[in-house]
Amino acid sequence: MVEFKDVSVTYNSSGVDALNKINLKINDGDFAFVVGPSGAGKSTLIKLVLKEIDATEGTVMVNGFNLKKLRRSKVPALRRTIGVVFQDFRLIPTMTVYENVAFVLRVIDAPAKYIRSRVPYVISLVGLSDKAKCYPTELSGGEQQRVALARALVNDPQLIIADEPTGNIDPALSYEIVELLKGINECGTTILMVTHEHDLVRYFGGRIININKGSIDFDEVIGGAQNES
Amino acid sequence: MKASSFKYLVHQGFSGIWKNRMMTFASFCILLVSLLMVGLASLTAINLTRVIGGIEDKSEVVVIISDDADDKAKDELKTHLEEIPNVNSITMYSKEEAWDGMLDSMTDEEKEFFKYADENPLPDTYRLTVKDIKNMGETTAIIETLDNVESTQSPTTFADILINIRRIFSIVAVAVVAALVVVSLIIISNTTRASVFARRKEINIMKYVGATNAFIRIPFFVEGMIVGLVAAVGALLLTKFAYEGVYNIFSDNFNIWSILGMQKLYAFKDLLFPVSVSYLAAGAVIGAVGTSISTGKHLKV
Repeated sequence: MVEFKDVSVTYNSSGVDALNKINLKINDGDFAFVVGPSGAGKSTLIKLVLKEIDATEGTVMVNGFNLKKLRRSKVPALRRTIGVVFQDFRLIPTMTVYENVAFVLRVIDAPAKYIRSRVPYVISLVGLSDKAKCYPTELSGGEQQRVALARALVNDPQLIIADEPTGNIDPALSYEIVELLKGINECGTTILMVTHEHDLVRYFGGRIININKGSIDFDEVIGGAQNES
Repeated sequence: MKASSFKYLVHQGFSGIWKNRMMTFASFCILLVSLLMVGLASLTAINLTRVIGGIEDKSEVVVIISDDADDKAKDELKTHLEEIPNVNSITMYSKEEAWDGMLDSMTDEEKEFFKYADENPLPDTYRLTVKDIKNMGETTAIIETLDNVESTQSPTTFADILINIRRIFSIVAVAVVAALVVVSLIIISNTTRASVFARRKEINIMKYVGATNAFIRIPFFVEGMIVGLVAAVGALLLTKFAYEGVYNIFSDNFNIWSILGMQKLYAFKDLLFPVSVSYLAAGAVIGAVGTSISTGKHLKV
């Protein structure tokens, strides 16, 4: 669960108010699209959830962690409950697909036997079993994003944050990525997807959170074109 | 942390060397050159200190014994001299030895002139070496108060010059070595920083998936340590090669050291253990710690 209570963020360096008194609750198992123009505060929202930055005011709760009180040494514990998918994939170029995915489990000290069974399974879920030994540079954008998804998924996180996951891939493949995310969500994982692509949002529908100038000006569930057809 | 995870991280450190071979090679070269510079400067300082020390050890106080002193009196004087704390060694140089020595150093014409001398005009002497050349003047003053001492001759001015040379040299040597250490650390720090900077994205990703700082640092630490150790071995071999080259020139081709009353340079085999330990320790510590410190900057995500 993610909960923002009267959260404001002001960047000291620029004095810009990135978020103003935001109140937001995303329950376990939700799938929410976060939309809004550039500079609206979407990235700030994600940075807060990952405790990359701290709120200037208010309280942020993520998966049971009160981020205001969370010490730096405990941040890895928070991040292990979250899977992150970035627009630029952020795969480690010197590691193969298998190693990129397995790395997350090594970080949490998972037993070697579990890693050997879990990683191929997750790679198969995103349809890349035949590319497990490839390096990221040998894959297409869509494939790289699927590896990033597998990495986000492998330690069975409570929440997956997808920050513009379709921004760097072919529009046709964007639907495939969101389908994958929807599938993951159906298994109970909360998904928070930041996107610019209104067509995708209109197609899939669901909970839409629109951020504009640091405030939430729309938070509703809409029906998607997918469901109408 | 489980043993398997630790093993994995150490393995990552080793494989990181090959995966980042260009930056690893740059770090290796910089470390090698730095160790070589500091090592050769230190060895030069150690040897010059020894050479100066050798000259100091050869500085003697000549004690001229009164003509009327009999053998018993001479023995008593020797006993008194031995009781002086700063006296290191005492050698008797009889008037006959002095006479023979003088004649040996003369040309045949000069010898002819002295052939008809009625008696040996030279005195018996004790020749003393001192433990601390700084106190040579003080020691000479004490000797002059003893019975049966006619007079003394001591190179106190020369001793003062040597003391000054040694003091200035020590300061210069420490300053040069310290400056080289600082310069080396700055260069090494910049190189490791560049090496880590090239992998900042990797570190960033590790942080996002919940890696602890220790988990991220260990492979970099291992990698830095290995590079440092290999550079140390390389520097040690080059130092041996360079040192023995210089040593052979001074020791084999010219015997100037003994002519000047100086001690020889240290043979490399005498210095092998301390030099090896210093190089390996410095290489490992600088490599590992330098890389870890540089990594720290990118951990604040």
